Amino acid sequence: MIGDALGLTTIAATAAGSIVGLFFGAIPGLTFSMALALVMPFTFGMEPVPALAMLLAVYSGGMTGGAVSAVLLGIPGTPSAVATVFDGHQMARKGEASVALGAAVIASAFGGLFSLAVMVLLLEQVAAVAIRFGPTEIFALVLFGLSTICGLAERSLLRGLIAGVLGLMMMTIGLDEIDGVGRLTFGTVQLQQGVNMLVAMIALFAIPQVITTFIETRADENVRGSAAPWPGDVRAEFPWRRLRGYWWLMVRSSGIGTIVGAIPGTGGPIAAFLAYDHARRFSRRPEEYGKGELGGVVAPESANNAVMGGALIPMLSLGIPGDPATAVILGGLLVHGLQPGPLLFDSNLDIIYALYITILVSWVVILLVQLWGIRVFVRVLRVPPHLLGVCILVLCAIGSYAIRNSVFDVYVVAVIGLFGYALQRMRIPLAPVVLGLVLGPTLEQQYRTALILSEGSHRIFLESPFAVALFALTGAVIGWQIWSSLRTGRREGT
Amino acid sequence: MSRVDRWLGAVLIVLALVWLWLVQTQIPDAGEEWPGPRGFPLLLGVVLAILGVWMILFPGSRTPDPGSRGHELAVAAGTFGVLVLYAFLLERVGFLLATPVVIALAMAGLLRMRRLAAMLSLAAGFTLGCWAIFEALLGTPLPRGAWRLW
Repeated sequence: MIGDALGLTTIAATAAGSIVGLFFGAIPGLTFSMALALVMPFTFGMEPVPALAMLLAVYSGGMTGGAVSAVLLGIPGTPSAVATVFDGHQMARKGEASVALGAAVIASAFGGLFSLAVMVLLLEQVAAVAIRFGPTEIFALVLFGLSTICGLAERSLLRGLIAGVLGLMMMTIGLDEIDGVGRLTFGTVQLQQGVNMLVAMIALFAIPQVITTFIETRADENVRGSAAPWPGDVRAEFPWRRLRGYWWLMVRSSGIGTIVGAIPGTGGPIAAFLAYDHARRFSRRPEEYGKGELGGVVAPESANNAVMGGALIPMLSLGIPGDPATAVILGGLLVHGLQPGPLLFDSNLDIIYALYITILVSWVVILLVQLWGIRVFVRVLRVPPHLLGVCILVLCAIGSYAIRNSVFDVYVVAVIGLFGYALQRMRIPLAPVVLGLVLGPTLEQQYRTALILSEGSHRIFLESPFAVALFALTGAVIGWQIWSSLRTGRREGT
Repeated sequence: MSRVDRWLGAVLIVLALVWLWLVQTQIPDAGEEWPGPRGFPLLLGVVLAILGVWMILFPGSRTPDPGSRGHELAVAAGTFGVLVLYAFLLERVGFLLATPVVIALAMAGLLRMRRLAAMLSLAAGFTLGCWAIFEALLGTPLPRGAWRLW
């Protein structure tokens, strides 16, 4: 079985899975969870090792691919790549698209390999801790993730809070998962599904930008018809030297990603936001974040790819999937007669070792495919901006449609896109809206589950030392942010 | 800028009040149980109203006024219109017919392009390219259209 992991079939399956994952991850609206579901039928006729290798390669390739459109187009290919947009796209606008992409690829591979190493070393120990996390601890963790709204608020804390609340409000629309009650659906079937997170993110990140491009094109008649790269010259280079000061950040971010990944119900977006905020807070130049700082690409990309190793820990050792993608992989294990859980270590230890090797091989393949592909990917920018804008508009519509095969989601993109543009005009930052969108459902669900367990008593939130520590940390983060905001205001006032 | 902020604050308060009214009238009550399905939306509405009041009382004076010009609003409304029309056409005539029409319309209407050859080649090329990737390569079904007007 272990020999199979290095066989030609497994390597070919890994390469195919990586490319499919990269493709789905890179195209906004196509998710790697969707790719996994589509690839799954192809694996039924395969041996267990190449089949699982293919699925794992789709997962890791998809997670990495999300950075491509995040950097080049300013649209996250996957929810986990949202934090990469902030600085990655700014770098692209400054003509450093290939540096940002190169850094993203290297950081992704580093994060993936780091989490693999941790997984090999700590599989059973970490799983034993993560299984103890109940709704209280997850609620506290998500609340801590939300405290990063303060950090993403750019210059105005008040505007950041407004944006965060608007994002949270948007995600309460739809069928309430706990009570099964429709919320603000106005009796329509389509609204019962709620606002899809990815649809909302495509709308918020892409449409305001497309409108701005159209406005700029209309304002400058000379721009039209030019084939100048957008937004600047693109060089094909790999930033090994530029990354010299970021290796320690990669280690820390990968650690964050691995820990978050091991906690069921969290996942890539939370890990990426936590790592981004961590990088910004501990940077010597925090003011550069959001303007094209390399650390803003390295941190979220290391973290979201490290999630994979972390998420596989509870899935393999306890049979609990950490996120939707690992849930599909769990299905793949079951199809091949492998029951994840503690017994897997007794009966099929060789498959565990084969999985380690296939993940290692998949990262080597992804690294090669991505580094080779940079020269292809950067060409996207060589299209005149207004023509690219028209293409992005169409891609947003069909990408949103493809998520649930619903034309209703195209209308949703139009409405939320216009709303996002209005917010942008009012100088309300869009990043906290997205954070609210990503974290909102988990926050509410875990809070309510905790209260159901405690029969309505809030004391449950103070019973877990881990949760209390996280609440204290959240309070400290918010307090520090308010204090520094007041200090900045006073300094500007003088 | 402070005037713009006060207006924004007022809009937020109105939005919050409409939201709270909708929550009270549209979401069924869960009795004495807290938070129930209403709890979170109610809490968020209240917080938004408080932030609106905060915005009116302490308007930011240092943020530059974004301003607003007529043609910018027209482009924003036009983009919204194009997307709504695209959704409408996707449902009725399908991807292969709706996409070139919308691309040509966006180029002519929003970008005021008049080069027919460029418009047609982009419209046809991009439509076929997307179809080849989504339908033929990835097997992701694109709308075929119901072929009825309503």
